[in-house]
Amino acid sequence: MNIIEVKNLLKTYPLPGNKKDSFNAVDGITFNIRLGEVYGILGPNGAGKTTTLEMLEGLKDINGGSALIDGLDVSNNAFKIKEIIGVQLQANEYFESLNLSELLILFGKLYSNEINTKNLLEKVGLLTKESAKPKELSGGQKQRFSIACALVNNPKVLFLDEPTTGLDPQAKRNLWNLVRELNVGGMTIVLTTHNMEEAESLCDRIAIMDKGKLIAEDTPQGLIDEYASEPIQETVKGNLEDVFLALTDHRLRD
Amino acid sequence: MFTSKQMHLAQVFLKIFFRDRQSIIFNLLFPLIFMGVFVFFGGESEPINLGLVNNSSNTISQEFSELVEEEPLFNVTKGEESELKRQLFLGDQTAIIIIPESFNSIDETAEIKLLLDASQVRQIGSIKEAISKSLLSIERSLRNTQPMFMIKVEDVKSRPQRYVDFLLPGLLAFMLMNLSIAGSGFNIVEYRRRGILKRLFVTPIKPQDFIISIVVSRIVIVLMQLSVVLGLAILLLDIKIVGSLLSLYGMIVIGSFIFLCLGFSFGSIAKTQEAIRPIVTSFTFPQLILSGVFFPINSLPDMIQPIAHILPLSVIATGLRDIANDGVSLLMINLNTLGLLVWIILSFIVATKFFVWKEVAG
Repeated sequence: MNIIEVKNLLKTYPLPGNKKDSFNAVDGITFNIRLGEVYGILGPNGAGKTTTLEMLEGLKDINGGSALIDGLDVSNNAFKIKEIIGVQLQANEYFESLNLSELLILFGKLYSNEINTKNLLEKVGLLTKESAKPKELSGGQKQRFSIACALVNNPKVLFLDEPTTGLDPQAKRNLWNLVRELNVGGMTIVLTTHNMEEAESLCDRIAIMDKGKLIAEDTPQGLIDEYASEPIQETVKGNLEDVFLALTDHRLRD
Repeated sequence: MFTSKQMHLAQVFLKIFFRDRQSIIFNLLFPLIFMGVFVFFGGESEPINLGLVNNSSNTISQEFSELVEEEPLFNVTKGEESELKRQLFLGDQTAIIIIPESFNSIDETAEIKLLLDASQVRQIGSIKEAISKSLLSIERSLRNTQPMFMIKVEDVKSRPQRYVDFLLPGLLAFMLMNLSIAGSGFNIVEYRRRGILKRLFVTPIKPQDFIISIVVSRIVIVLMQLSVVLGLAILLLDIKIVGSLLSLYGMIVIGSFIFLCLGFSFGSIAKTQEAIRPIVTSFTFPQLILSGVFFPINSLPDMIQPIAHILPLSVIATGLRDIANDGVSLLMINLNTLGLLVWIILSFIVATKFFVWKEVAG
């Protein structure tokens, strides 16, 4: 069963410095996301990944095509859809004089939900930071906190926009575990990333975007089978990241 | 009337404001310093430092110089012309009077020289007037004649009005303008820059929830801060509010609403943090001068007055002054309340036109 159905989705912007012409930031893409899967959107900077997510989240107007979430058309059910999705944006700043637990209560209120802040913070491993301010958190903690904020309405679909960009390997792996746990609990997760390893280890299926178009979509293994030209030579000793992790300890340090 | 979502968000904005101690203190400091300055230094004029050179040595000049010394307007230093001139250059003396050698008869007109530093333009007029007035009364007492006229000043409104009484309502209006515009305009730009508006926008909150909660929390903040200034003014400066406090607070709420709406518009127009400052400054600064905050609009050039009268700060400052100084009720309809009404409607229309959630948040 599909929880998200995207058909010929289009986003046009006027060309910078030339208002008559326009270009398609998202150029008629079509894909479906199944209930309960982790779906990754890959692509270089400027490929249209974030724009695609922001159209699904109701942040940007859709200029063509259609998008359904849980059977509801995104264009004219903005508020109903906001109730059932959780969103983690690339920029994750908050009112800085509020502490984590106050911020979670605030976000809960915006959905008219009474929430258990301790449970949520425990889920993302920040129970001890309850009364800390967002700016006192490390990069990884900040990302986990913004996921906590996205969970206050217990969403059916969770959108994560480059959740691990800028994190150290420990924090990155910790966040992957969090995503897996949420997914095991039944949540559909849509994420964008530049990190191939992340896509490979986390995602059930992957879409690759470039210049606004969707150029490939399959399971990670399927994509490797189809596009990776040569069989990889046997890797015996792992890679440099394994070295880094071995030397600096696997434990999360933030 | 308000939803619990709006009330919670308003509480959050209040919490944010009250945790920012620095801004509370500095918001209060400005008006308090201002009032202090005018009260302690603006009340009575200082005596003029006057150098006196007596080149004559007869009894009449002697008597004249003694009378000059007794004059409370002057702080007299007697001495040589060259030394006093040096002091004039340094600014220790404001003016020098030179009594000529020929000063010997009360029946002849003697030429008394007055040396001034012409760069002190501001003071020359009043100094000349004060000196010639004093010289006239000295002349009268020398000649033993009675003055023909005396002016007795009587206020038709028969209440004592000091400059602070005039200043306070204007200052309150200026304060509420700044607090309101900071609360809507500056905050929106800041929240947008940091992506907070976007984050709020992906939750099912409606634009009106956001706007209402900012308006409610800011009006509470304005009322609290203005109450502190008003309270101190009443306690320490013995200021009398002639009209009802209810009318005064009503006017403050209306004023805050107008400037909050205008602030939302500025915040929506301004694309960057750098842009919002000049936009707001070019709105507030001319009004500080033109809106009768520090001196009456009637003292402005005739050409500017009609424009000055319709500025939003003028309308609110005048409204507050009418209530505080003249005991007008908020419900009394006059030309100013008409202006107030126009600004309420205008600012609200402009705000709703410019504040589009999707564009402002993006």
